[in-house]
Amino acid sequence: MSLKSSDTHEPRYEVLWPLSRRAVKDTAAAPRIPDLNDKTVCELWDVIFRGETIYPLVREYIKARFPRVKFVGYSEFGNFHGAREHQVTATLPDKLRAHHADAAIVGIGA
Amino acid sequence: MLRAAAVVEQMGIPTASIIGSGFLKQAEVIVKGLGVPLAIGVYPGAPMVDSEQDLERKVEEMLAPGLLQGLTGESPHVADAKAEPAPGQVVFSGTFDEVQEHFYRQLWTDGLPIVPPTRGRVDAFLACTDRKPEEVIRVVAQDGREASILSIAVNGVMAGCRPEYMPVLIAVIEAMCDPLFRIEDCGSTPGWEPLVIVSGPIINELDFNYGQGMMRVGRQANSSVGRFVRMFLRNICGFRIPPGAGDKGSIAQSFLVAMAEDEDSARAFGWPTFAEDRGFARGENVVTVHSVVSITSPIYSAGARAIDHVQQWAELIGGSFTYWAHTGFKTGLWSPLIVAGPSIAEVIAREWSKGEVRHYLYEHIKVTAERATHYAQMTSTPTFSFERLVEDGILPPEYAASSDPQRLLNVIIKPEMVEILVAGDPGRNQSRAYMSNHVQGPPTSRRVELPKDWKKRLQH
Repeated sequence: MSLKSSDTHEPRYEVLWPLSRRAVKDTAAAPRIPDLNDKTVCELWDVIFRGETIYPLVREYIKARFPRVKFVGYSEFGNFHGAREHQVTATLPDKLRAHHADAAIVGIGA
Repeated sequence: MLRAAAVVEQMGIPTASIIGSGFLKQAEVIVKGLGVPLAIGVYPGAPMVDSEQDLERKVEEMLAPGLLQGLTGESPHVADAKAEPAPGQVVFSGTFDEVQEHFYRQLWTDGLPIVPPTRGRVDAFLACTDRKPEEVIRVVAQDGREASILSIAVNGVMAGCRPEYMPVLIAVIEAMCDPLFRIEDCGSTPGWEPLVIVSGPIINELDFNYGQGMMRVGRQANSSVGRFVRMFLRNICGFRIPPGAGDKGSIAQSFLVAMAEDEDSARAFGWPTFAEDRGFARGENVVTVHSVVSITSPIYSAGARAIDHVQQWAELIGGSFTYWAHTGFKTGLWSPLIVAGPSIAEVIAREWSKGEVRHYLYEHIKVTAERATHYAQMTSTPTFSFERLVEDGILPPEYAASSDPQRLLNVIIKPEMVEILVAGDPGRNQSRAYMSNHVQGPPTSRRVELPKDWKKRLQH
């Protein structure tokens, strides 16, 4: 229940927007790949939340449906979270290009 | 984590990201702020508490199909953003109570009444800086909004600051916008809070409390500057707890009132001030922002020798902070901030320099490798390994000098990471310590820029 003042002489306030301009340019998502056979999927992991168990299970699941998919393991890319987040993230484009990445799985936020 | 996915997606490479179901609302805010649509595979619940069988089942039934769909199905898209007002635009007109209600419903307040940000009040703040209202310090995560001088003024008004605090507020946001501070991580699950420390003549000019009761609300400068920090994080960065989203502090803590140093006492003992320790000259006005994830109990210590007090600090700081130090081990950085009561600091300073205090604490707070590894595994990192951290150059070699799980390791990674501030009740023998959250919010300082006619403006 909102408060209602009984003071009819109460002043009114014209108040300014307390947020600021959103300054991010929206970009479209990359095109998806309906058939992962003969494609390279790179794994990026922030070394937390049981990725050492989760990633192999995901790999197995995708391979069962696309037997000729190739995976590049997370150890190739380094931990992009924590101590060297900015430095490691900056190296990702070159590493992904070097591995001819077609797609990537990124985790884990939990 | 989604920021890395956005980098990849912007290369034209499709991604699918692994997100726990409890983080979906936060992910939605982050994706909007990044401006890049991201496909998400959902892990139901919290992987850290699931059995192997449950984890396998959840991956098979939910996560892996979602990731596959994200890579092979339709491209994700972000809903078109709603049109927003222009900065500085009047968005509401009403009585005091109506303004409170409107702002609360829009999720623009912290739940306490705010001072209505009218143009006149905001202009009074802007008059206390020589900087232009439209100047942008940085575009900040996670909403992707501009940290502008105007936005600082509006939120400063709302938090109950006085106009003359404006130079301090600007310096606080400049420090928090330093990439090393990682403002984007202010909504992480530990729920840490930025703590502002004020140094220099401005302490007395603005009436900051550095004596008895200095961490209580009650003194306008300390209280409102602390409140401003959280208001800014909420409105400009987009860190909101439910019914909003974006702030994932799982249990978290509320704002901390700003601190200031008893600089006269520190100088009288012959110790450098906190600001001098951080590389600033005597007489400079400085703010330092320092994350706080944990606070000790009050530490009472007695005796006329330095060792009587520093030994007590080592025991109590070790008892409180050793558990969370594993996050510092993972990143190579964490900082304990000791607020030393003036009477205690005086006894210590008769015999020891601050450097000797730091070295003692570094040498005497220990944890076994087995215990630190256990804490890391319990939190988030089953693969935690001191050997790997040393190999990667994150920790010094001594952390992997032996494979004995019972070997004792220094909880404080380097002596210079210890921060010491003289403040509090001179009539009592009490200190307290504050722990930073590893690389998130390390101590970051900025000089306070005063307007040209500062003294004149102070008199108004």
